[in-house]
Amino acid sequence: MWVLVTLLSFQPGFSQDSTAAETPPEKPKQKPVKNTFESVWIIDNQTVMVPIKGTFEMDFQHRFGVVKNGYKDFFGLFASSNIRLGANYSPMDKLSVGLGLTKYKMTWDANAKYSILQQMTTGRWPVSVTYYGNAAIDTRPADNFVHFSDRLTYFNQIIVGRKFNDKISAQIAPSVSHTNVVNGYYSEPGKVSPERHHNHFAVSFAGRYKIKESMCLIANYDQPITKHKAGNPHPNLALGLELSTSAHSFQFFAGNYYYLSPQQNNMYNQYDYTKGEWLIGFNITRLWNY
Amino acid sequence: MKLRLSVIGCLLGAAVLLSGYAIVSPNDPWPVPEKYEKMPNPVKADASSISTGKSLWTKHCVSCHGKTGAGDGTKAATLKTHPGDFTKAEFKAESDGAIFYKTSEGRKDMPSFKKKIPDADDIWSLVNYIRSIK
Repeated sequence: MWVLVTLLSFQPGFSQDSTAAETPPEKPKQKPVKNTFESVWIIDNQTVMVPIKGTFEMDFQHRFGVVKNGYKDFFGLFASSNIRLGANYSPMDKLSVGLGLTKYKMTWDANAKYSILQQMTTGRWPVSVTYYGNAAIDTRPADNFVHFSDRLTYFNQIIVGRKFNDKISAQIAPSVSHTNVVNGYYSEPGKVSPERHHNHFAVSFAGRYKIKESMCLIANYDQPITKHKAGNPHPNLALGLELSTSAHSFQFFAGNYYYLSPQQNNMYNQYDYTKGEWLIGFNITRLWNY
Repeated sequence: MKLRLSVIGCLLGAAVLLSGYAIVSPNDPWPVPEKYEKMPNPVKADASSISTGKSLWTKHCVSCHGKTGAGDGTKAATLKTHPGDFTKAEFKAESDGAIFYKTSEGRKDMPSFKKKIPDADDIWSLVNYIRSIK
């Protein structure tokens, strides 16, 4: 909570011109704050940004293997990588809908993102608030499942972000992941108990610092909240660089999340940064405006 | 036979030269509707507007127009039409409305930015920044 309070109470450091007091100031136009982030992605999370109406976007995302094997697999770059190909479209302002396919478990996801509130230039709304959700289906062969519903997982997130000034933006994003099926164990003879909850709560923090007009430092931290009986996920810490152009955004980073699906990452991440289990990844987005 | 080959060679050479000339030749006139030609810039060229314009310039324009607007961006050599030199008096004589119109509508290699930059005030800020480039 203290983070949210800090986020809301921090005011941009614009100085006031004392000489302006003598003339009646022009009432500034109230407009939504633009470009809180350069992309809909910030490493492993969605940002508060929703593309404008008529924007079609393609996403290319890679996560390589852990770097700690060194030259053996060239710091993970030659290890088995996870890949996601995604596309989304904004049929109206404030709404984006999309589809994606991830290599791990051949998971298709259908997702939607809606801008509930937009930070305004005059300070009427000090933050932007965006909802992001997805439903995902594991499309591996049927012999991996008992019921069809075992294939399904869900993710819901509220993202609260603020652009503090032209260089610094930050966001906080609580989330809940749901999986229809979890592993079980024999808690007593003949009785199977689930080893984890079906719902998992987590919170993500992310921010960017602009080094140049088209280059930013980006950071992302994901903290699991729900405690399970076994297989608790590790937090994710990621740092990287973002380069953006008129139609592209390139993000290169090192972090601990491999799965590319937010519910998989939040519920099952086993890479631990305290043990040096970092992996390199990138996100590339391409935009078209129709 | 030799004469025929020479003629063909000359014709090919002329074609190559002419196509090269076409690439670097001055752009066709770009007529601007009177409505835009006389349109006043509603956005004051203050620090905030210049900052917004600079950000948009870096993101959308630098790759073709270059950092200083001289038309020497990294993509400029691949264009069929030279992007123009904004440092020249000929360009500086254009009205804000004319620059706004050309940026919004685009033509040939120059894309239309009215969808990418949907807020007209942002395009006016871009005009303000272009004016400020030394």
